[in-house]
Amino acid sequence: MLTSIKTNEFRGDKSKELGMMYFRVAIILFGAQLLMGLIAAIQFIVPGFLFEVFDFSVARMVHINALVVWMLYAMIGSVYFMLPDETGVETVGIGLGKLAFWVLTAAVTVVVLVFIFVQVGSGTETSIWLINEGREYLEAPRWADIGIVVVVLIFYWNTFATYMKGQRTGIMTVMVANLMALAGLYLAGMFFTDNISMDQFWWWWVIHLWVEATWEVFVGTLAAYALIKIIGAKREIVEMWLWIEVLMLFGSGILGLGHHYFWIGTPEYWWEIGALFSSLEPVPLIAMFVHVLYDWGKEQGIAKAEGHKGAVANNTPALSWIVTNAFGNFLGAGIWGFFHTLPQVNIYTHGTQFTAAHGHLSFFGAYATILIGMFYMGIQYAYGIERLKSTFKSKMAIFLLTFGVLGMGVALTIAGYEQVLVERAELGAGWNAFFVAQDLPWYVQAQLWRTIMGVVTFVGFIYLVWDLLTIGKQAKAAQEA
Amino acid sequence: MANKNVSVWTSIPFWRRSAAWVTGFATILLIWLTFDTLGQISMGTDADLKNGVTKRVPGPTVINYKIGYEMSAKRGHEVPTIGEKQPFFGKEWSEQEAADLLHLGKLTSQAKNCMDCHTLLGNGAYYAPDLTKAWIDPAWQKGGPMQGMTGKNTVEEAMAEFLQHPSQYPTHARMMPNLGITAKEAKGLVAFLKHMSSIDTNGFPRNFSKTVDQFKTGGTNAH
Amino acid sequence: MFGLIEPFTDVNHSFFGMLNQGPLTLTIFLHTVIILPMFWIYFSEKKRLNK
Repeated sequence: MLTSIKTNEFRGDKSKELGMMYFRVAIILFGAQLLMGLIAAIQFIVPGFLFEVFDFSVARMVHINALVVWMLYAMIGSVYFMLPDETGVETVGIGLGKLAFWVLTAAVTVVVLVFIFVQVGSGTETSIWLINEGREYLEAPRWADIGIVVVVLIFYWNTFATYMKGQRTGIMTVMVANLMALAGLYLAGMFFTDNISMDQFWWWWVIHLWVEATWEVFVGTLAAYALIKIIGAKREIVEMWLWIEVLMLFGSGILGLGHHYFWIGTPEYWWEIGALFSSLEPVPLIAMFVHVLYDWGKEQGIAKAEGHKGAVANNTPALSWIVTNAFGNFLGAGIWGFFHTLPQVNIYTHGTQFTAAHGHLSFFGAYATILIGMFYMGIQYAYGIERLKSTFKSKMAIFLLTFGVLGMGVALTIAGYEQVLVERAELGAGWNAFFVAQDLPWYVQAQLWRTIMGVVTFVGFIYLVWDLLTIGKQAKAAQEA
Repeated sequence: MANKNVSVWTSIPFWRRSAAWVTGFATILLIWLTFDTLGQISMGTDADLKNGVTKRVPGPTVINYKIGYEMSAKRGHEVPTIGEKQPFFGKEWSEQEAADLLHLGKLTSQAKNCMDCHTLLGNGAYYAPDLTKAWIDPAWQKGGPMQGMTGKNTVEEAMAEFLQHPSQYPTHARMMPNLGITAKEAKGLVAFLKHMSSIDTNGFPRNFSKTVDQFKTGGTNAH
Repeated sequence: MFGLIEPFTDVNHSFFGMLNQGPLTLTIFLHTVIILPMFWIYFSEKKRLNK
């Protein structure tokens, strides 16, 4: 698909080349995620669409798993990409890293094919091991879990050994420590229990401590690296901010886990712990936003004072995505998360479209954006471009993707609000209450808008792929001219 | 030579040490809290049920009892109540039988991927109703539309019938697909649902469950 | 007092459950034990920088 990003264009850095291999698969899976999302969105408004052929549960399962997996691919790719820059040495086990890449890609392909064609199994341990674990986000069957652990261990060993061999920057120290936690947490999701409360207790250890702690620190680390690379920010300042971010992200995020323990059978004391710690989760996100804008403005100002014209960034599409990330993280994860984090509110919003709205805005704002930024850094490197400038297609991609996801988020918020008021507050949940709310005119309208905005997002994705396929070649031609 | 003007706030080692302390200590607190919670959410036993010991997550033999969900003045929200004995699929289940049935039900709930349409304890997807308290949903009780539609006389038989042939009993244009659930698996799933309804969820969902008729006629739930 | 101190109502007794009876006492306790040692870190760092 992305063959125009030719490997022979590389300037010989094997680690970055390996990172690009991960990026390519990430983009393909990103596309698969959006397609599955469109199918699921259509099923909300046309219930008979693919009924008993490709049901909502299947589309939704592939939708969220493709999401998690493309992000993990892009994250692994980003680490391989930054390793030689940060450590000053070549990554130690490139061959092993490549082997792990192909093993992981083969495993992901098999898992997706089984999800799509086998879909469900009988109520036996065999189904959990071979077909589908049936736990939202962690649906991958157990054999794949074990495979993922092995592949991640190889990746981690590569990162750690390279870190130990080369120079140990603050950025890499945070990265290495954080990746260990990120990888280790996956083990908490790899067991079966008959006790649904126990099941969800540990399930949240993986999900929450990933997306609201370790992944956020990962983004902070990546932004720190990217700011140094793109706008030449001062390492001392960037690393100081990074430690402040780690302090605040982990300080609020680790015990913020409590906001998932309000209603799953866990004790009442989690109300207070979850509410107050998770309320602080937006604070580091504000700090990250301020930090990115501050550094950008400062470096731009210095460049201007020195008489340079134009943007200070040597990669404007990447910087645009990183700024979008800084704001989107605060808006989607921070604001939309805080909306329903207090137990007094959450008792009504828990398990409604409100959660879906927050999910869409935060995964896009906090993670998709910065990872797309990394794709552009990959292109810049692969073609040896001094200064990569946004094209019309780059601008269309960032505008349509952001506008589309924001539109979906707003539509789902309205749907969620309708649901909260009627299904939850007025009718107190229950089977009939659910369907009464699903038929409310404004709910139906919101679902329609969500689908339209989903199409807008998809068009944005097409622009993104088109841009990634062409921007490097064009910029190189312009540079050589 | 002390320099009074040095700023700690711009010192990287200060932030690094603080970050390490906060992360490490928050982790220790979380582990401590986790041990405390795990003790409280471990499954109860048959003896607990017989002796009236309240557990947040009762043992599997809770399927032999009538389960309610009532406002508790002490707790300030609704709590599950475990009442008198009630046959489940026409019999009383031994400790081993009930555990096996719940095991089958939980496995089936995962193998059939319930969570990617429904929510369980409020977690999952939002395409189909929350199943946390499905067992005590008025729709499934005697006189309720779901039980009436399946032509069965008990909640468990009605649910099992529906689960085996969901698209024969549409309640909405949006239907549940046929997932090939066998009669045995359906029994397990109903046991899983009944067990889940007995878990103390700190009052979630609240105000469960006003009837839709009340809503449509503008009536209230007030007594 | 003003209904802020509540009787213990949760199902099981526990250390954290006991702390949970007053106005935000549990969360204030946890925040405090996390933040207080940072004063020590601050002053020891100040001492080190002054040397």
